[in-house]
Amino acid sequence: MTSLSVLRVLDLSEGVAGAFCTKLLAGFGADVIKIERPGGGDPLRRHGPFPDDLPHPEKGALFLYLNTGKKSITLDIGQRTGALILRRLVEGTEVVVESFPPRWLTELGMGYQSLARIKPRLVMTSVTPFGQDGPHAGYRATNLTAFAAGGQMAVTGDPDREPLKNGGYQAEYQAGLHAFAATAVAAFSADATEVGQHIDVAAVECMATALEPYVSSWAHQRRDMGQRRGDIEPAPAGLTVQDLLEAPQLWARGFFQEIDHPAAGRQTYPGAPFRPEAMPWLAARASLLGEHNEEIYCGELELSREELVILRASRVI
Amino acid sequence: MERLPLYGYRIFDLTTAGAGPYATRLLADMGAEVIKVEAPDSGGLPRSDVFCHVNRNKYACTLDLGQPRGRELFLWLVALSDVVIEDVRSQVLEDLGLSYDVLRSAKADIIVVSLFSHGRSGPDRDFVANGSNIEQLGGLTAISGYLGGGPQKTGVAYGDAVAGIAAAGAVALALWHRRRAGEGQHVEVAAWETMVGLIGEYVLGYSMSSRLPQPMGNRHSSMAPHGCYPCAGDDQWVTIAVEDDEQFAALCRAMGRPELAADTRFADVVSRYRNQEDLDGIVGEWTQQRTPQAVTEALQVAGVAAAPVLGVPALYDDPHLRARGFWESVSHPDAGTWDMDGVPWRLSRSPAHIRLPAPRFGEHNDYVLRGLLGLSEDEVRELAGAGVVGGGPGPDVRA
Repeated sequence: MTSLSVLRVLDLSEGVAGAFCTKLLAGFGADVIKIERPGGGDPLRRHGPFPDDLPHPEKGALFLYLNTGKKSITLDIGQRTGALILRRLVEGTEVVVESFPPRWLTELGMGYQSLARIKPRLVMTSVTPFGQDGPHAGYRATNLTAFAAGGQMAVTGDPDREPLKNGGYQAEYQAGLHAFAATAVAAFSADATEVGQHIDVAAVECMATALEPYVSSWAHQRRDMGQRRGDIEPAPAGLTVQDLLEAPQLWARGFFQEIDHPAAGRQTYPGAPFRPEAMPWLAARASLLGEHNEEIYCGELELSREELVILRASRVI
Repeated sequence: MERLPLYGYRIFDLTTAGAGPYATRLLADMGAEVIKVEAPDSGGLPRSDVFCHVNRNKYACTLDLGQPRGRELFLWLVALSDVVIEDVRSQVLEDLGLSYDVLRSAKADIIVVSLFSHGRSGPDRDFVANGSNIEQLGGLTAISGYLGGGPQKTGVAYGDAVAGIAAAGAVALALWHRRRAGEGQHVEVAAWETMVGLIGEYVLGYSMSSRLPQPMGNRHSSMAPHGCYPCAGDDQWVTIAVEDDEQFAALCRAMGRPELAADTRFADVVSRYRNQEDLDGIVGEWTQQRTPQAVTEALQVAGVAAAPVLGVPALYDDPHLRARGFWESVSHPDAGTWDMDGVPWRLSRSPAHIRLPAPRFGEHNDYVLRGLLGLSEDEVRELAGAGVVGGGPGPDVRA
């Protein structure tokens, strides 16, 4: 048995895509440190569903699900002090995952080029709605608008109604899954060859690659098969989440996992996305905001507790 | 420029359609030598335009795994490979006496990926689902649909894509493990389980509250307006998502209705959420006078998230994707030349492109039989005579 435990990942991302990417790396054992903004932390902490509909930064299902197995530290990398601390952390890091608007990190002096000077074999994965370049790279976007721009919305829904977004955050999850696979490929390659990479994953491109046979028939024959069909098949609605949680097949295979969390309690989570027999999936809870500040800043970067207080008072952590 | 990350790794691909070929496409894009195996007497898969898209960058050979000699040759090839990938249609492991243990006896550190819908254990292990049915199994369909309406499927074979991406990631992890631990392994991808992982917050939410989520149409749990609005022209639509007061004020100014930002029905996020049906009507009146592109430009300048709903023809001509070089021209000797969707993982130091058109039926038999296995011309002729390799002229390319 092995795991990715020697793979240190710094997760600077906010949003579903980057979080899903690093959740999967953490699940297979990578040492993922999630860097959250001081104060409220990752904006995903604000999203429900919450138990009893009572908002609580440590109890949001979206955050708890997407951040299993990661450590949490707070750091304002927009401040110079925060940027300097980040650069020290990068020295011991194999992978950085980020989702900022393109060029934002570069403007702060923390783009791939400058981080790769600190760590030449660094893999940096940028996962964004529109990618790092191109005329729409700077577009403000959400899961909804990315789903539309990636071509999957036009083919979903009834033909005589408006196009439909599917449930949840599928534009972001798809991009996150692609980002995970691309990062795994590049990290393996960097491990073997010492050559790092900057990976640009654009959600709209990920979605466009899943549009077969529509794309190929248009590209080759100018036939547009990508029409909305609605629910033409008298197919069953499919399983509800309750059905899933009662499915004998999934329980027999040990898919679901009970994970205890100090704020949210013991709950049932989906488990491994796939099963490499020699790399067990780890089921560890999401961390509390800044839970690992002392471990990382004092234990690894050798700051004193008094210095932690200075950083906190200065809103760096 | 560096070599592609998977340059020098060989993958034998026994999959035919759906998730498997999508997985090996991603791996082939990254430089792996992916060799498709087709049965000589099958005539091969139709070389349709879908085939050309999904199988670019791959090689193809024919081999009858059902004959003892074919099975033996395959095990020799496994000895020269890093990964074997199969799906339920190929049934190699169980039906052809080519279990993981047998493959491992041919190559001690072989990586075998089995892609199934339900997995290979549990009471439903023999069930088969594919493409859009994975979505229904995985719970996505039940939470997708218009507000108050019935469940809807995504218009693409979403479950196949999802399982394919996961399988590609799985291969990378298994290669990592092999490098670190010196051993191969068997990886199982159950598409159903992969799919459930993409609605994980709903599973956890139900665990917390025992309340069933309902389809919300294009609405969001907190943003409003958040929807898809009609535009000028036939079947033209734009999506708009407003996160906060500032963006709402910007939207109102862009619509030439600044007074709406102070309207008590819409002045705060809670009121907007409560009254979003009225708001959607107002936004829709504005958008339907304009093209999706004009609405998008006006709102992006104002700092509001908006994007056109792109159909496939618009996606194909999309200036953004064109500027990024996403569409790549590929020439196939039989099928012709057209632009295909390129490589979605943009690597800075080893940029990946479409290097090869999709393979013809048995196109690389010589490379595999004579190049890799070192068989003589006579041996190949003899094998072809016995129907172990070779095969007819192959399937037509559908024009």
